[in-house]
Amino acid sequence: MTPTLTALGGGFRAEIKQLRRSPLLAALTVVEAVTFLVLVTIFGLASSHVPTAVVDHDGGRLARQWAQVMMATYHTYGVRYMDARSAQQALGRGDVAAILYIPAGFSQHMAHHTMIRIHLRVDNVNADLTNDVELGIPPVARAFAVANHFPGIRVVTAETDLVRHEVGFIPYLVVSALTLAAFVVAGTLAASAVAREFETRTLAYLRLSPTHPLIPLAGRLLATAAVSAVAVAVAALLVVAGYGVTPDHPVEMAAGLLLCVVIFSCIGAGIGTLVRRTLPLSALIFGLALALYLDSGSLEPARFYGNRLWLIAHTSPVYYAVGILQYAVHGLRVTPETIPVNFAALIGWALLAVGAAWLGLRRAVVS
Amino acid sequence: MITRAARALRHTWTLAAHDVGLWRRAPWAIAAALIPPLALGLLLYILTFNLGHQPIALVQEAHGRYSDHIAGIFQAQGGDLYSVVSTDQASAMRLLDSQQVAAVIVIPRNFDAAVARCPALQPNQIIHDYTYARSGCPAGKLQVILDNANHDFADDIRRALSETVTQFDAPDVITPVSETQLDMSDLNPYRVNVMTALTRANTVDYIHYAVIPCLVLLILSVGVTGTALLCARDIERGTARHLALAPVSSLVLVAGRLLGGVLVSLVVVVPTLAIATWSGMIAPPAGHWPALGLIFLATAMCAAGLGAVLGATLRGARAVSMAAAVICTYLFFLGGGFTTIQFLPTWLRLTTAFVPTRYAIDGLRQSLFYPGLYGFGADMRVLLGTAAIAVVAGGAVVRRAWSR
Repeated sequence: MTPTLTALGGGFRAEIKQLRRSPLLAALTVVEAVTFLVLVTIFGLASSHVPTAVVDHDGGRLARQWAQVMMATYHTYGVRYMDARSAQQALGRGDVAAILYIPAGFSQHMAHHTMIRIHLRVDNVNADLTNDVELGIPPVARAFAVANHFPGIRVVTAETDLVRHEVGFIPYLVVSALTLAAFVVAGTLAASAVAREFETRTLAYLRLSPTHPLIPLAGRLLATAAVSAVAVAVAALLVVAGYGVTPDHPVEMAAGLLLCVVIFSCIGAGIGTLVRRTLPLSALIFGLALALYLDSGSLEPARFYGNRLWLIAHTSPVYYAVGILQYAVHGLRVTPETIPVNFAALIGWALLAVGAAWLGLRRAVVS
Repeated sequence: MITRAARALRHTWTLAAHDVGLWRRAPWAIAAALIPPLALGLLLYILTFNLGHQPIALVQEAHGRYSDHIAGIFQAQGGDLYSVVSTDQASAMRLLDSQQVAAVIVIPRNFDAAVARCPALQPNQIIHDYTYARSGCPAGKLQVILDNANHDFADDIRRALSETVTQFDAPDVITPVSETQLDMSDLNPYRVNVMTALTRANTVDYIHYAVIPCLVLLILSVGVTGTALLCARDIERGTARHLALAPVSSLVLVAGRLLGGVLVSLVVVVPTLAIATWSGMIAPPAGHWPALGLIFLATAMCAAGLGAVLGATLRGARAVSMAAAVICTYLFFLGGGFTTIQFLPTWLRLTTAFVPTRYAIDGLRQSLFYPGLYGFGADMRVLLGTAAIAVVAGGAVVRRAWSR
C-alpha cells in the first residue's frame, strides 16, 4: 500500500512541479476555457435587440406607445430615437440594422382606426437578420392593436408557461459553456501529461517502478484533475459574480462539474495516449469541444433539434452534464431524462473513461 | 545592382520554400492549424439548421370554418416557422413532457363561435361605435402551453405564433410592394400597413454569410500557427543562431521567413478555394477575383507577421500553438465571423472597429456576395496598413530573437 501511495504522491508532485515550471501553458489553458464563456456571450448578445432607429415624424402619444411596444415585444428590437438624417447615416455605417419611419398623423389615424402606411428600411445584410427584423413587425402591430382594443381582432393567444422565471439567453448559455470549459481545461492538461511521457520517452522508466507502472501516471492525472477543478471553479465563480447567475442547487452544480473534470481528464488521457504528441492537443480538444457544443443542448433542450440529433447527443457526456448544470443553476429541466438518471449516466461515463484510459495506457506502457 | 537583387530574391525564395517544405512534413502542426477553423466552420454550418422550425404540437378540438383556417395556416407555415405534429391533447402533453415539442397549441372547441362573435372589418367600414373598440371583443383564444427554457427560444416561438395569428387577422400587415400599389386593405384590424425597403441588391442566405468567413479564419490559423511554429522551432533548436551567422543579409532572411508563412497560408487556401468554387459553394461576380486575391494575400501577410511575433516571443511549440489558436479565435469572433456585427451592442461594435479581421471579413463578403465593391477600398486600406505593420513588427522581433 505504501509504495503505491508513494508512487501516486510522487506522480502528483512531479506534475504540479511541471505545471509550475510552465505557468504560461496553464494560463493559456484557462484562457481557452474562458474563451468559451466569451464566445457564447458574444453569440447571446447578437441574438436579440436588433438596433433599430425610430424616426418619429408624428410625435404623438400613440406614436410613442408604438415605439415602446417595439421595445417590449419579445426582445426583438433595440429602439433608438433619431432624426431622419442621423438614422440614414447610422444605417449606412452599420450602427443600426433598420429604420422605422412613423409618419406624421400616425396618432390621429390610430385614434380614429383608419389605415396608415409605415415605412421600414432594412439593411438586408443577411437573410437571418432581415427575417428577424421583418418578422418582428407583425407581433408589434398586433400587440399595439390588442393593447388599444382595436376592433376586428378575432384571435388572441393565452399562454401558459412551464417555467415560472424565464431564464435569459446569456445566463443559459454560460452555464452550458461551463461544461465545455471543464472539457477544455481537464482534457488538455491530462492529455498533455500523458503525451509528454511519450514524447520524452519516459514511459519505459515507469516499468521499473516497484508498483504498477501506471500508478505514477495516475498521480500525474490526479494533479491535472486537481488543477482543472480549481480552474473550473474560477470559471464558475466568474459566471456567478460576472453574470449574476446564482445557482439554485450549488451542491449539485459542484458535483456535476467535479464529475465533468474526472470524465474529461480520463478522456484527455485517452486522447494523449492515441495522439502521443503535445503539439496538436490543445487545437484538437478545442475543436472537439466545439463539436460537442453543437449537440449537447447548450442553446436549448437538445431534443428540440429533432430525434436524430438528440440520439447522437446521448453519446456525449456533455449532454448529461448540461442537463445537470441547467437544473442545478436555473432549476430547468432540459433533458427528458431525470436528474438522477443524468448523474447515473455521467458516473457511468466516468467509469467507462477511467477504464478506457487505464487499458489504453497499460497497453502503451507494456508495448 | 540587378544581380544583387536577383540573388537576394533567390535567397528569400529558397528560405521560404524550405519553410513550406518543413511545414508540409509536420502533420501535427498542420492538424493544430486546421482543426479550429474546420470545427468552427462545422459549428456555424450546423447552427444555421437551428434557425426557425419550432417543434410544436397542434391540437384541433374544433373543426369549423375558422378552426380549419387557422390550422391550415399552421400547417402551411410548417417547414418554414414550425415542425408541426397534429395530435390530441393527451398525446400533445406527453410530447411536451418528453421534450419532443416545445409548445402545445390548442384550438379550443369554442374557437369558431368566439371568432364569429367578433366580426371582421368590412371594406370601407367607418367605425363610429368606439364603445365596441374600448370594450374589446371576446376573440377566439388559442391556448398555448410553452416550454420557455430561455428567453431566446421562447421568444422565437412567441414571434412565430404571432406571425400565424397575424396571418389570420391581417395577412397584409407587411406588404413589400412598390409605393404605387396602394393596397391599404380595410380588412386589416391593426390599421397599419408596413412597407419594407431593402438597402442591398440581394439578401445573402445565412449559411453562406456565416460559413464563408471561415476562409479568413483558415488563413489566419494556418499563417499564424505555421509562421509561429517555424520561428519557435528555430529558437528551440538553436538554428536561429546559424541563420544569424549566414552570409546573407538579415532583411533577406526575415523576408524569407515571412514569405514562407504567407506561402503556407496560400498552400492551404488555394485548394480550398478551388474546391469551394468547383462545388458551387462560392460564386463571386465576374471581375471580383482580383479583389478576393488581394484580401487573402493581405490577410496572409497579417497572419505571417503576427505569427512571427508570437513564435519569436513565446517559448515552446505547445505554448505557441495554444496561443495561436486562442488569438485567431478571438480575432475571428470580434471580426464578425461568428455573428452579425449589426446585432452587437454599441460598445462591442466600437471594439470591433479596431479588429483588422473585421475588414477582411467585410471585404470578403462584399466581394463574394454583392455585385459592387462598395466599401472595399476602405476595408483594404485598413487591412493592408495592418499587414504592413504586422510584417515590420514581425520582422523586427524575429531579427532580434535570432541575434540573442
